[in-house]
Amino acid sequence: MLAAEAGAASAAFPILTALVLVPIVGAALVALSPKSRPETPKLIALISAVATAAMSIWLMASFETGEAGFQFVSKHTWIEPWGISWHLGVDGISLFLVVLTGILFPIVIAGIDPHHDEKPYLAWMLMLQAGVMGSFLSLDLFVFFIFFEIVLVPMYFLIGGWGYENRVYAATKFFLYTMLGSAFMLVGLIATVAIASDDLGRVTFDLVEIAEGADFAASTGRWLFFAFAIAFAVKVPIFPLHTWLPDAHTQAPTAGSVVLAGVMLKLGTYGLLRFGLYLFPEASYWSRSLWLTLAVVGIIYGAIAATMQKDLKRLVAYSSVAHLGFIVLGTFAFTTQSMSGGVIQMVNHGVSTGALFLFVGWIYERRKTRQIAELNGIQKVAPIFAAGFMVVMLSSIGVPGLNGFIGEFLILTGSFLTARWWTVVAAGGVILAALYLLWAYQRVFHGEPDDDNKDFPELRWKEGLTLLPFLGLIVFMGVYPKPVLDRIEPSIDVLISHVEEHTDYVEPEPSIVIGAHGEEEDE
Amino acid sequence: MADLVWLIPAFPLAGFALILLFGRRLGDPRAGYLATAAVFASFAVAVAIYFDLLSRPEDERQTVVTLFSWLPVGSLQIDLAFLADPLSILMCLFVTGIGGLIHLFAVGYMHGDPKFSKFFMYLNLFVFSMTLLVLGENLLVTFLGWEGVGTCSYLLISFWHTRDSAATAGKKAFVTNRVGDFGVMLAMFLAFESVGSLSYPVLNEAAETGSLAASTASGITLLLLLGAAGKSAQIPLYLWLPDAMEGPTPVSALIHAATMVTGGVFLLTRVNPVIVASYDWVPTTIAWVGAITALFAATIALAQNDIKKVLAYSTVSQIGYMVLAVGTGAYVAAIFHMVTHAAFKALLFLGAGSVIHGMHDEQDMRKMGALRAFMPITAATFIVGWLAIAGVPPFSGFWSKDEILLFAMAESVPLYVVGVVTAVLTAFYMTRQVIMVFFGEATWTSHANEDEAPEVAEGDEPVETHDAHGEFKPHESPPVMWIPLVVLAGLAAVGGIINLPNVLGIPSGTQYKLEEWLHPVVEFGEAEITGTWAYDNKVLLIVIAVAAALAGLVLAWTVYLKKRIQPWEPTLFAKGWYYDQAVSWFMGNPGRDGFEAVAEFDQKVVDGAVNGVAVAVKETASGTSRSQTGYVRQYAGIIGIGVVLLLGWFVVIRGIL
Amino acid sequence: MMLQQFDTFVGPEVGWFALSPLLTLLGGALGLMLLGALTPPWPKGLYAFVAATTAGAAGALAMVQWDDITDNGATTLVGGALAFDTFAMFMTITISAAVLLVSLLTDEYLRDTPNDGPEIYALYLVAAIGGIVMSSANDLIVLFLGLETLSLALYVLAASNRRSSESAESGIKYFVLGGFSSAFFLYGIALVYGATGSTNITEMVTALQSAADLSTPDTLALAGIAMLLVGLGFKVAAVPFHLWAPDVYQGAPSPVTAFMASAGKAAAFAAMLRVFVIALPFYRDDWRPAIWALALLSLVVGSFLAVVQTNVKRMLAYSSISHAGFILVGVEAAAHRAGEADAGPGMPSVVLYLVLYAVLVIGSFGVVTIVSRSSRGDTTLSAFDGLAKRRPALALAFTVFLLAQAGVPFTSGFIAKFGVIQAAVEVDSYAIAVIAMVTAVVAAFIYLRIMVSMWLGDVDDDGAELAVPFSAGLAITAAVAFTLFVGVVPGWLIDAADTVTAYAR
Repeated sequence: MLAAEAGAASAAFPILTALVLVPIVGAALVALSPKSRPETPKLIALISAVATAAMSIWLMASFETGEAGFQFVSKHTWIEPWGISWHLGVDGISLFLVVLTGILFPIVIAGIDPHHDEKPYLAWMLMLQAGVMGSFLSLDLFVFFIFFEIVLVPMYFLIGGWGYENRVYAATKFFLYTMLGSAFMLVGLIATVAIASDDLGRVTFDLVEIAEGADFAASTGRWLFFAFAIAFAVKVPIFPLHTWLPDAHTQAPTAGSVVLAGVMLKLGTYGLLRFGLYLFPEASYWSRSLWLTLAVVGIIYGAIAATMQKDLKRLVAYSSVAHLGFIVLGTFAFTTQSMSGGVIQMVNHGVSTGALFLFVGWIYERRKTRQIAELNGIQKVAPIFAAGFMVVMLSSIGVPGLNGFIGEFLILTGSFLTARWWTVVAAGGVILAALYLLWAYQRVFHGEPDDDNKDFPELRWKEGLTLLPFLGLIVFMGVYPKPVLDRIEPSIDVLISHVEEHTDYVEPEPSIVIGAHGEEEDE
Repeated sequence: MADLVWLIPAFPLAGFALILLFGRRLGDPRAGYLATAAVFASFAVAVAIYFDLLSRPEDERQTVVTLFSWLPVGSLQIDLAFLADPLSILMCLFVTGIGGLIHLFAVGYMHGDPKFSKFFMYLNLFVFSMTLLVLGENLLVTFLGWEGVGTCSYLLISFWHTRDSAATAGKKAFVTNRVGDFGVMLAMFLAFESVGSLSYPVLNEAAETGSLAASTASGITLLLLLGAAGKSAQIPLYLWLPDAMEGPTPVSALIHAATMVTGGVFLLTRVNPVIVASYDWVPTTIAWVGAITALFAATIALAQNDIKKVLAYSTVSQIGYMVLAVGTGAYVAAIFHMVTHAAFKALLFLGAGSVIHGMHDEQDMRKMGALRAFMPITAATFIVGWLAIAGVPPFSGFWSKDEILLFAMAESVPLYVVGVVTAVLTAFYMTRQVIMVFFGEATWTSHANEDEAPEVAEGDEPVETHDAHGEFKPHESPPVMWIPLVVLAGLAAVGGIINLPNVLGIPSGTQYKLEEWLHPVVEFGEAEITGTWAYDNKVLLIVIAVAAALAGLVLAWTVYLKKRIQPWEPTLFAKGWYYDQAVSWFMGNPGRDGFEAVAEFDQKVVDGAVNGVAVAVKETASGTSRSQTGYVRQYAGIIGIGVVLLLGWFVVIRGIL
Repeated sequence: MMLQQFDTFVGPEVGWFALSPLLTLLGGALGLMLLGALTPPWPKGLYAFVAATTAGAAGALAMVQWDDITDNGATTLVGGALAFDTFAMFMTITISAAVLLVSLLTDEYLRDTPNDGPEIYALYLVAAIGGIVMSSANDLIVLFLGLETLSLALYVLAASNRRSSESAESGIKYFVLGGFSSAFFLYGIALVYGATGSTNITEMVTALQSAADLSTPDTLALAGIAMLLVGLGFKVAAVPFHLWAPDVYQGAPSPVTAFMASAGKAAAFAAMLRVFVIALPFYRDDWRPAIWALALLSLVVGSFLAVVQTNVKRMLAYSSISHAGFILVGVEAAAHRAGEADAGPGMPSVVLYLVLYAVLVIGSFGVVTIVSRSSRGDTTLSAFDGLAKRRPALALAFTVFLLAQAGVPFTSGFIAKFGVIQAAVEVDSYAIAVIAMVTAVVAAFIYLRIMVSMWLGDVDDDGAELAVPFSAGLAITAAVAFTLFVGVVPGWLIDAADTVTAYAR
């Protein structure tokens, strides 16, 4: 199915390759730009980032809705002796992550000031964007791996170079922890190729070919799957492999946290979908209970841990653990709703948590502290600032009408069909989400401001403009997610039927009673 | 006309948007009038649609207006659609009608508040959400409004957020409601799983045609009951409502008396076929939850001294009646009481607000008394509300409460007894309040100097319209505030006529209007009581009800005015049976400790393991590296060991063995 | 392959042109020694230039040979003493390249030691000859000759800094232990000779082929193999024969260390492949587990001990031990298919790793050389603090090398590791593959540590301003370019490496 349609809608202009290369070129230019003109690096960075954004938006516009397969495919032999090819493609699952990556970077580059050493900072940011783009676009195991891995380097330098007090510890932990995960994936990946080559008759790292052509014995497939899954589990992060996240998030500079939450964590969940379920449907289905359980534990555990944090940024970081738990839950519930919800939740979490990190960053810039205890009464002195935070917070809590709810609701509705009791527990996490965020809000924004906080500056114009796109997405995605869902669903359906082919799983179809609307749609 | 139902939420939304954009420029009081206008505009639309539906044959009084497809994923197809039918339109009528009056009142009440326009922005947003709630064509749109009103309630309770008590109360309200929402969400999942849709027509049809298993139906009902308990402040989740009185009084009137808190009852009525389709013990459970809440809250109200707290608990108790009605299949009665209650409770709250306003933000009834002379209109209207809630004929409360008691009796005697006892208590504590506030001797002048000043200073409501210090004279509120009172008083007085029973020679043409109107919605669920003993002895029941009301009234009169009997206000009641404390204690101690433990665990164990590995590597390494002495002889020795091992492997293991 | 006849005594015909790379190096060495001794000091940098050009020429000639071999197939030379195959040429090129780069590094360094003169360069060339002989030997005795030539040259080089006692100490240590291990190696040859009746690999193989069918294991041969393994294990600095490495690497002049870690290691591993994979495939089940064990130990000890070092040269020494572990993984993979028609990716992965690592390590020590100049020979981590602020380009180059050593994608280091792991997985030795990757993570820690001090450390102002000599800069630039280029376009090199399985025997 996918293989058949691969290359179907490949555009004349290799847009996907451009999406990866433009940031790299931009980074190079920034690095080479002369010291004499301090403003040029930022200019170059912005041009490159905006160009990428424009291309990604064009990509979304010209994306064939209702088309399940990979589009804009470009495929060229790269490392011939090892059967590796530069194979990029985009489908409903990756599309919006690509778009998010495209638009997030110009915003943070324009909106957030690194305070020192702007040149290398911008170069690393662009490298990061290239890496993330590549990971979302690549359809070749090798290509995916190198991008998945290279992302560590710019992030390491961003955290280490522009982070806060414990940045070195956090950066090193982040680097080594993730690298450890990838270590297993690399071996598993090579093994996958080696074993698949027996079925395919030739050595190839092509994802589609292997996924469609190779049929792993249950025992083998499961080992391989876990080799991949560990890497993704660390990246997501799934409990109990999450402890690098609070440190990385807390120590990273604002832009780093925004990007980390916005797109980088999605590498894990995306990887689980694309390289877990798609490559090893049998193993993923077989091990679903494990993942569901870990996901639910993550939801509750993350929320509880978040409640007790004293550092506002750590709190948000732990909330990410909880939110990503929902995505994992949806992924391993194997229903159209839950998985589509998972994908849209990846985007939504990126938007709302990204925005939360923006606010935390601004608070830090103003007060030079993230300690909840040292903040109070801000709403009185900076009502607009508080209002903005409130909207973002409500979206993160999952109030209907805002984007956060859409994902959570779809995930839970879908997973209720196949994983009822897990879902029931997970839904409890919704209560906790309100608890930790509102409590934090009360402590930070309510009450009378003390002397340290009574001249807390109001939201600035630049900040407001940075925030605007986030708020726009928060409302739009909450009120009218249809265009997004319409593009996601076909790919999800195909993925599910792929799972159904390789397992005895049959997606449950809620019984429809006569009449009203609710048109039946065959999976 | 019914196709324009979307206009009902549209107007408040527009009002919200306008104030959001231009609120500061509009300012006080124009923003307020704009908001009020928006709500009254919706009211007008609602009225128009009402007559439109009325003009149709009964079975065509249902229109679905779909705006756009909201969540289309596979077999889950959810539209943002409105359902205009007798129930939703009736709700709209009183939500917007009474809501409008409260807006008007608030223009006066909030005058001078620095965040005046923001207040009305929230109010409009609330009305918008509330209309979504009642107009929703499916559970999810209702849930959208449901959460929306919850959010607005949060924002408005903690409107004076610099006061910690207000901030905490808001948070408490939101979180407690979340527990209920948890139930509603699960109910939706269950509904989707069983009928593949969330729209009321589909769900109810499934229930009516019996294609909905009793087990599923029970599940959905109970989960919705949990939601209702949250939103409508029933046991065990009621405890956010009394604290919610931290909000400005118009908020208490609008959200925490007239409209939002009735959402749960509305939702249960909306899905009445599902309730019927579930096991028999399920409605009974609902009934008892309502009954117990009613009684329980009434007892607490006996011993409250805060003018608003009394009304708050009475609200809990009155909604208990409605839930009781739902449980006994008296859906019409439930809605009937909802409407009348909306009128008289809004009236009472606004009256209280007027008093607080006139008393310079004094809320303690022990520092009032004999105010009728100073604020005649407020007093008069308040008295009307009092008689209505006490169930004195012919005031509206009497008719609706009587209807509920009738069905309760038809269902089971114990329920009826609880109902009647509650009625006595209601009459009692309301009378107590009226006496403490408006009659007896004034206890406030003496307090004016010492206690009054700190009162204002510490509880810094921004209502600083006039200096509160030193001697002061309670005064009547301005027209913008008392006009709504008068209107509401009118409604509270005659509201009963919308559903008069067929007794006492009431002309048959005027009987059971509401029941006729709601018939298409509730026909499947409405209990059939004709032929029961209760039905045949209506008159007797009415007599009992009136007797109960008067009993309570007289008793309170003798206790608080004539001082013949020592007032009995046990701390147990004053403290609300310590339920709130118990919960707070649990959250504060074992709960908090548990959470702390988890956080600790994460730091020490999970992360500790990670860092532990690192440390272990370092330790072993530095241990081993000490063996690197730099002496050649030692190196040679180690090489020798290597040689021996290799030889051992090759020669012994591979060779000889 | 062509077999020698024994009964007739024909003077072995020597393929002079085929030996041209060796001869070139020899000529260069002699030239430097004689002329350098007879003439007054040459102008600045000329010694280095001569050495570099010689090495370059040798490499170029080897490339010419390459085509010849790929066209006409592999043969043996000098009466079957030397193998003339792409494997040999691959190593020749690698070693020549190492000499070239190292000479460029050495130039400035020597002049301000001050210790300029032809000797060092001559020794490089001699050592290179030894290394090439080792890696192309088709006779254990010849191999031993090459090994000794290489070793002796390295002993002297290690001690070559007269003014530094550490240098002298390291020279002595290396010499004593090296002699110790050479003795084992020689004894091993003797035992194997006893078992097979020949030291010529071609004849050994034939002998064993005929003898292989008597199933009783030949204890004599096994003992010999053990000894050979000791000797080679020492040369490649595999645990537990590694202990000399940290001290010597630290003590020796940085350029020399670079040479040892690149050319020295490469030659030793080439010899290991010759001796075990090519000469002794029949005992592969006997020695493979031993290799496995050495690999495991080297990986773990190398990476773990690197973590606690404070001296950058020592860190790199230990990291080179863990790299040796990685290469041994490749050898282990090769062992699975040793002697078979389809030799599998084992050998290619090893040679690929060797050439890529050679460039990396030279680049790394090149940076160390430059930094230590300004810090008066201090190579502790603190000497690198704030390097990025003093010399951003240099810091960037070092970062590239370190990331490559950590096996980060888009660098040659990743390709090298990938190849080895692929080879191991190909033959189902998953365990060692996983272990290797995990220890790589541990090793990554030190690379990060160095990067941290370079990028985040504060500049100590007393540090003399840091000049990058042209020649050294050239070498490092070349190394960086190569590292990144291969990281992105490795295909051609992989293809080349794949041909080495068609070795002469």
